[in-house]
Amino acid sequence: MRWLRFIIGLLIALTLHSLLDSFFPNALAFFNPYIILIVYYAMGGNIFGAIIAGVAAGLVQDAFSASMFGLHAFALTVCAYTVASINARLVLRGTLAFGACLAGAVIVNEMVIYILVNILVKQKIEMFEQGLLVKTIFTLLFGMLVYQLLTLFLREEPIEASRRAIGGW
Amino acid sequence: MEDVIRSRPTLFFLIVLALLFLVMSRSSQTRYVGETRTMFERTVMTIFSPVPKAVNWAGRSASDMYHGYLDMRRSVNENNELHRKVAELTAKNLRLQQSEGDLRRLRTLLGYSEQVDMPTTLATAIMLDTSGRFKSLIIDRGSDAGVEVNDAVVNANGLIGRVVLTTKDLSKVQLITDSTCAVGTLIDRTRRQGVVRGDGRGGAQMYEVPSLADVVPGDTATTAGIDGIFPKGIPVGTVIKVAKGTDLFKGIAVKPAVDFGAIEEVIVIHTRKIPPQVARYAP
Repeated sequence: MRWLRFIIGLLIALTLHSLLDSFFPNALAFFNPYIILIVYYAMGGNIFGAIIAGVAAGLVQDAFSASMFGLHAFALTVCAYTVASINARLVLRGTLAFGACLAGAVIVNEMVIYILVNILVKQKIEMFEQGLLVKTIFTLLFGMLVYQLLTLFLREEPIEASRRAIGGW
Repeated sequence: MEDVIRSRPTLFFLIVLALLFLVMSRSSQTRYVGETRTMFERTVMTIFSPVPKAVNWAGRSASDMYHGYLDMRRSVNENNELHRKVAELTAKNLRLQQSEGDLRRLRTLLGYSEQVDMPTTLATAIMLDTSGRFKSLIIDRGSDAGVEVNDAVVNANGLIGRVVLTTKDLSKVQLITDSTCAVGTLIDRTRRQGVVRGDGRGGAQMYEVPSLADVVPGDTATTAGIDGIFPKGIPVGTVIKVAKGTDLFKGIAVKPAVDFGAIEEVIVIHTRKIPPQVARYAP
């Protein structure tokens, strides 16, 4: 059931991606629908599931964007792992906690992409700081709205966590 | 194996990152040698491609519907506007046709009045009574315009009648189809004279033509200018029937030259009147 809901969420994110690409081509520079899905899923605290979700969502995003294949998957996996790890230890709930996680995830995501692009393609992303700020604000606003709607209509917290203790590696 | 992975999520995370890094490296290399999409990338795209296609189709359909609706609204507005214009132009066209007819008629009338070497006045028929026993016409010119009793009234087709009553601004005209109206006429072809009187039914009869006279249907009759009222040479009508008649005269039916149902503008010819003292001694 969890995975079914994740796949539905992923299809909605891809739909939003396609819509924005078709009608507002620059909108995706200010807003990332996949990361909202990943943070929502990762807040359940299931690290293993969050990593799989991050890879899947990232690969889909990569497949339909012009970047290197795997770039967004890498960044989203890092975000998913981080958020899920935090939530496995601290039970964060509520819109503000979700907003904080989302804002942090957007920043981490952008930073990872910035570093990877620098390393692999040897290119600098133009106006990175401004882009990061705008993307964080818009994604945060939209993500919190989505979170509110989900808790209002589904009357439940983020996708259920397994609440497993974190083991060492 | 699964349990090992689940119990070591950080290890799993690092392995996944390493694999993704490899995928990225491969992708960044192939990007510069022409092949920009790896097999794996193509597979992911193929699996999820229905979503963008559906979005694109839905967006295009919605856009088409919206533009179709706008076009329809525009067409409806255009249609209404065109209907309004058609009505406006139809009315204008009718007015122009009316004006053209008026102009043609007036030109003919003017041309005709220029042929007459007597003073004339242009008038408009405002009432026509051809249904009663006395056939008459009211025109919009009276004594103020110089119209007098016994003035001849004509139009471009021929003789209409004579003025029998005037007021300051109106005149009554007795039509030649009135049974009490008599016009001295002659047959154009043979110059045979006679008198045309109305038959009271919209037609006229020509009297006083001897039974031996040469008159045949189709002959035209014009005023003879001998009655002291109507000037000579105005078309009166066409002979349509010639009968033996009673006594020594023929019975001749004449169809008036003027269509009394379609009189609009007329010319009043101010004929020279016979002085009363001369008329008194007339036979």
